[in-house]
Amino acid sequence: MDNKKGRILGILLLAVMLVFGLAACGGGSGKGGNASDGSRQSEGDGGGSGNTGASDDSGSGNTGGKQVTLDFVWFTDGIEGEVMKAIIKDYEAENPNVKINLVEVAYSDLSTKLRTMIAGGRPPALARVTDTGYYKNQALPLDDYIGDQEAFTSQFMDSIKPYYVMDGKVIAVPMDVTANGLIYNKTLFDKAGVQVPQSPDEVWTWDEFKDALKQVMEKGGAKFGLVWDFTPHRYSTLLYQFGGSIFNADGTAAAINDDAGVKALEYFVQLHKDGIIPESVWLGGENPNNLFRTGTVAAHLAGNWMLSNYREITEFEWGVTYMPKAERRSSVPGGKYVMAFKGSGVEDEAAKFLLYLSSKEVNGRYCQESLFISPRKDNAQLDYAFGKEMFEIFSNELANTPAEAANDWSRQELITQFTTDMRNQIVEAVAGNMTPQKAMDQLAALINAIIANTN
Amino acid sequence: MRPKSYVPYVFLMPNLLIFSVFIVFPALFGIVYSFHKYDGLNPMEFVGFRNYASLLQSREFWEVMRRTFVYVVTAVPLIFAGALLIAMMLVQEIRGRGLFRAVYYWPVMISFIIVGLTWKWILGDSFGVVNYLLERIGLEPVKWLSDPTYAKLSVILATLWSRIGFYMVIFIAGLQSIPQDYYEAARIDGANRIRTFFNITLPLLKPTSLLVLILSVIEAFKQYPLMMALTGGGPGKATTNIVQYIYQTGFIKMQLGMASAMSVVLFVIIAVFTVFQFRLTRGGAIE
Repeated sequence: MDNKKGRILGILLLAVMLVFGLAACGGGSGKGGNASDGSRQSEGDGGGSGNTGASDDSGSGNTGGKQVTLDFVWFTDGIEGEVMKAIIKDYEAENPNVKINLVEVAYSDLSTKLRTMIAGGRPPALARVTDTGYYKNQALPLDDYIGDQEAFTSQFMDSIKPYYVMDGKVIAVPMDVTANGLIYNKTLFDKAGVQVPQSPDEVWTWDEFKDALKQVMEKGGAKFGLVWDFTPHRYSTLLYQFGGSIFNADGTAAAINDDAGVKALEYFVQLHKDGIIPESVWLGGENPNNLFRTGTVAAHLAGNWMLSNYREITEFEWGVTYMPKAERRSSVPGGKYVMAFKGSGVEDEAAKFLLYLSSKEVNGRYCQESLFISPRKDNAQLDYAFGKEMFEIFSNELANTPAEAANDWSRQELITQFTTDMRNQIVEAVAGNMTPQKAMDQLAALINAIIANTN
Repeated sequence: MRPKSYVPYVFLMPNLLIFSVFIVFPALFGIVYSFHKYDGLNPMEFVGFRNYASLLQSREFWEVMRRTFVYVVTAVPLIFAGALLIAMMLVQEIRGRGLFRAVYYWPVMISFIIVGLTWKWILGDSFGVVNYLLERIGLEPVKWLSDPTYAKLSVILATLWSRIGFYMVIFIAGLQSIPQDYYEAARIDGANRIRTFFNITLPLLKPTSLLVLILSVIEAFKQYPLMMALTGGGPGKATTNIVQYIYQTGFIKMQLGMASAMSVVLFVIIAVFTVFQFRLTRGGAIE
């Protein structure tokens, strides 16, 4: 009796396992088959949840092209996701055979998601990326689609060219550019009677800016003078202003421990010692955005992407002004790109959509509605619904940025390997555990080792 | 008739299958990765023991290991003592016992990220509640999160708050399984409370203690989300423990091979620790 019961149970369990196993295998082979035959047309919504391609195939009679679905991996910082959805809708109306499936992920999950998709042999058709260099071997070269490379790239700001032209090939299209810049609490500055520079000719030196901040702290009642984003990218603004750079010009060695690099860090440390920058941001991990929002901080060194974030502040007035200069003025350019991938099976359609996105009209609409700076030279003057004069200041910052900044930050395959260490070395100096010279010497040694190891 | 010998294995199958697919095979892949140079995207390159060799020489890696170790040997005894103490109080017939148990257990149900963020609001340097109160009563604010020593203390504090409740429940179960006869006999013999604790409670609690020790040691070694949310591993690297370091190596520096080698080393260390604890306590047997 016991035996029989046991056997029946056993068989039952085995049957359950088999069903699960088969289901898993079935799903797997189905997906595998799709990927291996190199086309993902008619795959439905890309989620693969039982939506067969039948509906996609119908109704495609009116155009010559085959019915395709493009998976577009996307992350959203502000409102640009909604803008992109509207653009996609228009594109789909014009191209009934193309369906674009926006796969939204959090920015922090983006690289993991993309790597998993690529390593699994199912790259998406398109993705919005910031670290273009990391995917340069997997990106679809666009040269066959854009015609003359020179004519194509000359439409965009020259400084960002190293981000999307790699090994002589165009691997992505620029969607927007970012500029580091200075946001200040107008209410506090007014209370202290301190006026910010009104034109590029009146730009402060760092010492003048420091005095101004001290006044705002004393007379305006600011608890802190300045908060500075806890990232090497934002720190490097000061580095370029002091005349330094991370790498030498051809990227073969570190330059961050030269005279200018050490002076910049010394100044940064001093700003902390003087109590102008609160230690809680670089040492305690406190969020500078939240600090600025309390209305007790005079200024925030961030970038133009903060405008849509701070837009809702009603407790005090704020504005954007020119960053101070040391040896020279500088901002740091950044940007977001859209990339197509090799092996998606829909490369032609993806490339066509990329060209559509990068056209003057579509890119202008995207940047204007998302409150972004356009990388296109012919979209320099957009009619923003908010903060038009602020965008002009950011554009001016970018125009006064030396080539070193883009030269450094476009070497993404190197930089990602030491950003954590760079941040830590700066922290060691701010915390007083190390002299700025020693902190930068150690960092330079590490950078040189990474360069030697990567090439 | 005895059931066929394969039947137990059939019952184990579902879990075994899931465990293999999601734990065992990835772990084996990890070992394979650890012998390669791999960025997760471009083809792997076999490097033999080079990852391990540079790990052994890396001062930073062993510094992180040491820091993790200090965290473990500080946090675990405190968790152990705290959980046992509270459990002993809450097995007694006191009023509101259920309420107290719930209150102590409550933080366990909150994810580490939220625990970290909550304590960050409490201890934050410039705008934390504690510093606000300190300043209100005329005291100097304390750099809870930006001074290395205080930051480590803050992390331990948050760890205790979030984990003691969990181990308290285990201890309560252990304490309740000790027959009351022993205590009665001890009382009749005139043993005081301390004597009773060391001669009856602690020895009879040994299996439970071993379980709590092993679980809390493994958990402390692997702790990461709490620091991530509370201090971000800072100031500098003061609260960066081994798992965060592995994560940074693998997913920020994109050195998956090296990160896998670190994981293997961590695995060996935890395994040795557990075997050692098991041996030392003879598997929790009560003699």
